[in-house]
Amino acid sequence: MSKFIRAILYVGLALAALTFIYPFLWMASSTLKPPGEVGSLALIPDRATLDNYRIMWGRAPFGRALLNSVLVASTVTIAVLIFGSITAYAMARLTFPGKRALNAATMAVLLVPGQLTLIPLYTLIVQLGWIDTYAALIVPYLFNATAILMLRQFFLQIPQSLIDSARMDGMGELRILFTIFWPLARPALAIVAIFTFMGSWNEVLWPLLVVRDQHIMTLPQLLTVFALGGGAGTLGVSLAAAMVLVVPVVAAYMFLQRYFIESMAGAGVKG
Amino acid sequence: MPSVTFDHVTKRFGDVVIVEDFNLEVADGELLVLVGGSGSGKSTLLRMVAGLESVTSGTIRIDDRDITHLAPRERDVAMVFQDYALYPHLTVRDNLSLGLKLRKVPKPEIARRVAWAAGMLGLEALLDRKPKQLSGGQRQRVAMGRAMVREPLVFLFDEPLSNLDAGLRAQMRIEIGGLQRRLNTTTIYVTHDQVEAMTLGDRIVVLANGTIQQVGRPIELYRDPVNRFVAGFIGSPPMNFIEGRLDRNGGAAFVADGVRVELGGEREPVPVAAPVTLGIRPEDISLVAAGMATSPVSGTVVLVERLGGTSHVHLDVGPNRLMAAVSQEQLPAVGERIEVYVPSARVHLFDAGGKCRTARP
Amino acid sequence: MRAEARSGTLLSAPYVLFLLAFAAYPVAFALALVLMHWDLVTTPSFAGLDNVKLLATDTRFWQAVGNTFVFLGLHLPLQIVTALALAVALNRPMMFRAFWRAAFFLPVVISGAVVAILWNALYATDVGLINALLVKAGIAPVPWLTDPRVAMAAIAVMVTWKNVGFYVIIYLAGLQYIPRSCQEAIELDGATAWQRFRHLTLPLLLPQTILVLTLSTINGFQLFIEPYVMTGGGPLRRTFSVVLYMYTNAFSYQKMGYAATIGVALAMIIGTVVAIQRKVVGTAEAL
Repeated sequence: MSKFIRAILYVGLALAALTFIYPFLWMASSTLKPPGEVGSLALIPDRATLDNYRIMWGRAPFGRALLNSVLVASTVTIAVLIFGSITAYAMARLTFPGKRALNAATMAVLLVPGQLTLIPLYTLIVQLGWIDTYAALIVPYLFNATAILMLRQFFLQIPQSLIDSARMDGMGELRILFTIFWPLARPALAIVAIFTFMGSWNEVLWPLLVVRDQHIMTLPQLLTVFALGGGAGTLGVSLAAAMVLVVPVVAAYMFLQRYFIESMAGAGVKG
Repeated sequence: MPSVTFDHVTKRFGDVVIVEDFNLEVADGELLVLVGGSGSGKSTLLRMVAGLESVTSGTIRIDDRDITHLAPRERDVAMVFQDYALYPHLTVRDNLSLGLKLRKVPKPEIARRVAWAAGMLGLEALLDRKPKQLSGGQRQRVAMGRAMVREPLVFLFDEPLSNLDAGLRAQMRIEIGGLQRRLNTTTIYVTHDQVEAMTLGDRIVVLANGTIQQVGRPIELYRDPVNRFVAGFIGSPPMNFIEGRLDRNGGAAFVADGVRVELGGEREPVPVAAPVTLGIRPEDISLVAAGMATSPVSGTVVLVERLGGTSHVHLDVGPNRLMAAVSQEQLPAVGERIEVYVPSARVHLFDAGGKCRTARP
Repeated sequence: MRAEARSGTLLSAPYVLFLLAFAAYPVAFALALVLMHWDLVTTPSFAGLDNVKLLATDTRFWQAVGNTFVFLGLHLPLQIVTALALAVALNRPMMFRAFWRAAFFLPVVISGAVVAILWNALYATDVGLINALLVKAGIAPVPWLTDPRVAMAAIAVMVTWKNVGFYVIIYLAGLQYIPRSCQEAIELDGATAWQRFRHLTLPLLLPQTILVLTLSTINGFQLFIEPYVMTGGGPLRRTFSVVLYMYTNAFSYQKMGYAATIGVALAMIIGTVVAIQRKVVGTAEAL
């Protein structure tokens, strides 16, 4: 390729990258600007201020929402890892009646569009009396078909002799799973952990259905409600609220970028 | 030292019979080799002793204790796997000690046993390495060490050498044999390789289609195979077979196209003219008439393979191909028509069902 | 082994119960709700085919379906072209390759709610970044989200921006499997860069294109948070999506039976559209 074309390529890529990164930088800087400055293109505010954050923090329980989000996303992630690998282990390495049907059912679950089950799931939560509880946000996510299939695929590659040997050493099935399989499956577990956490952390629609109480709301939900309800008042304030949600994810993304890409792509392609 | 008894052991998967009515007693301290092709049921038998495979009917005992339905951990047997089954995330030391830790063996005792096994196997310098950092032969030794430290009643080996290259395989074969004699632990060893079976086994069980073909000391199987399967399976290079029939004109003889072999010695009666198969080992055929009673067979040399010490001479005899393993230096040329000599005392005859009719006292 | 069957049953039992409660029951109940009137407070009553009849003549529902198709018509070509272009540009040894890839992927990891709020700000008529750029270039500002003619297009651009990094990864994976020898052969045949793309890369990426098409179609039918946050379905209901309409029926009007009917209809529409797409693209491959 000629140098000229190469140069054009790099300029094009840089422009493209800028359209993906600049809005976030602009968002970050806008949160530090007083209302009069927000519309400006400049990234460095003339008079930097934390007022937007102060206003946001005062108007809605964002601290509580942050804790809720951490609690819900962590619980869901740990549950998906533990329950998912127990299920995947049984489906990959044990023979029991109904195993094939279970496999087929898991595939089928992936094909059912979420919109079909959204309303009945909501009515189920109402009937269980779980509206405005953490259970509503957590229990429907305890198992994840995509995670189970990914882990199952990974577990299928582990040699049978390791299981045999462990059994002769006197290990039970759960012990084999957690002391032999887990250390071997670390990459798969990391991938599952990331896409589960991300999915839970970013979820908006479901919390909007089952939670009305501000004190149970997760961060993206409170953010949406806050921005919509006019509680924010100015653009700077609502962007400040969005920053609270974005910063932890972007920080994690910068360190674990490869895992993020692999895991979101993997989950999407399989799911 | 304990014995292992198989009593009418049968294994089925649905309608498929894997092992059929298997009866055998493995003596104290004996190294018994189960040999056969794939699908013969040899690995299934071993895994039934380990408790990794259920028994459809029959019982397996160690000494007088019925272990048929015990969980693997309750059987006090240790197994060396084909792919070694080393835990990849643990060091050699931890691999060796894990089984003992799980059995709540006291720490000093674990350390003593690990040191003992490492010393016997030459693993002292490798104790802190992970399996990935070991060569094939070293991994094999760790796998054996893991079985040894358990000080089990019975050792089970499942094709332990088949993942090694030829040179290492011969070396490890010698090590395993030596180790087993020193430890004097009752051992069941599964392989598809008849050379391993011949060199290692106190006794050999030849299996095909889930049933015992023959049980005996290696030399017995070599000299007196009970059927054509065993005759063809044991011995390298394999026995020559020629299809033909019996002729009793002027004394019993085997005849086929271009071949007539006079038969001496005691023979089980086979109807004249019934189809029979003659078997003769390559090393029993000679290029020169020797002292004993022999029959000349003439053929055309099609290939001469010089292996150094011995040479393989391939002949076309009518429609049949014969191979002679000879040790002399003077060899015929390809295309030459020569006579070879088949000693009647070394001939095996098999009837149409494959059963051997040349019983020897 | 009997013990193994016991462990297997035991270990998979929680998942079986979960599937029954949170997968099988909702699907069955969705179908049952189609035949019911229910406001979540009083006891559900049998509705016969009322919901289905209502759906068939409900212009708001069909407008939402139409809006979603408009969205797909804008979004799908844009999504495929940008993803493909970026992937092909990245598919060579180059400086900062990981950085470019990470930059394009960044919006994928961000919550849709944040993206909607951010773009709300970018699109803002008076203080938005985009209009500020336009003004700088001497162009009159555009009321992106309040002009009925451009609102849906604005949302389509935003959704494309959010998801393109994900599809770039899919295309990059596909590009890795195009054998070097094929590329060299076609170069020796004297093909120009465009011909190489047209006759080698594009046909060999067909499986990835089908995947991107399917995933972005399914994703497109789920359009909810963007109009919910940015336009509330307006202006003139032009950005009202099917899921937003379902949500409104369930939570503003408490019509669970009808909302479930919309869900079932939407699932059927998605299934049909994806099947047609696969058939058409599959036929194109055969030609």
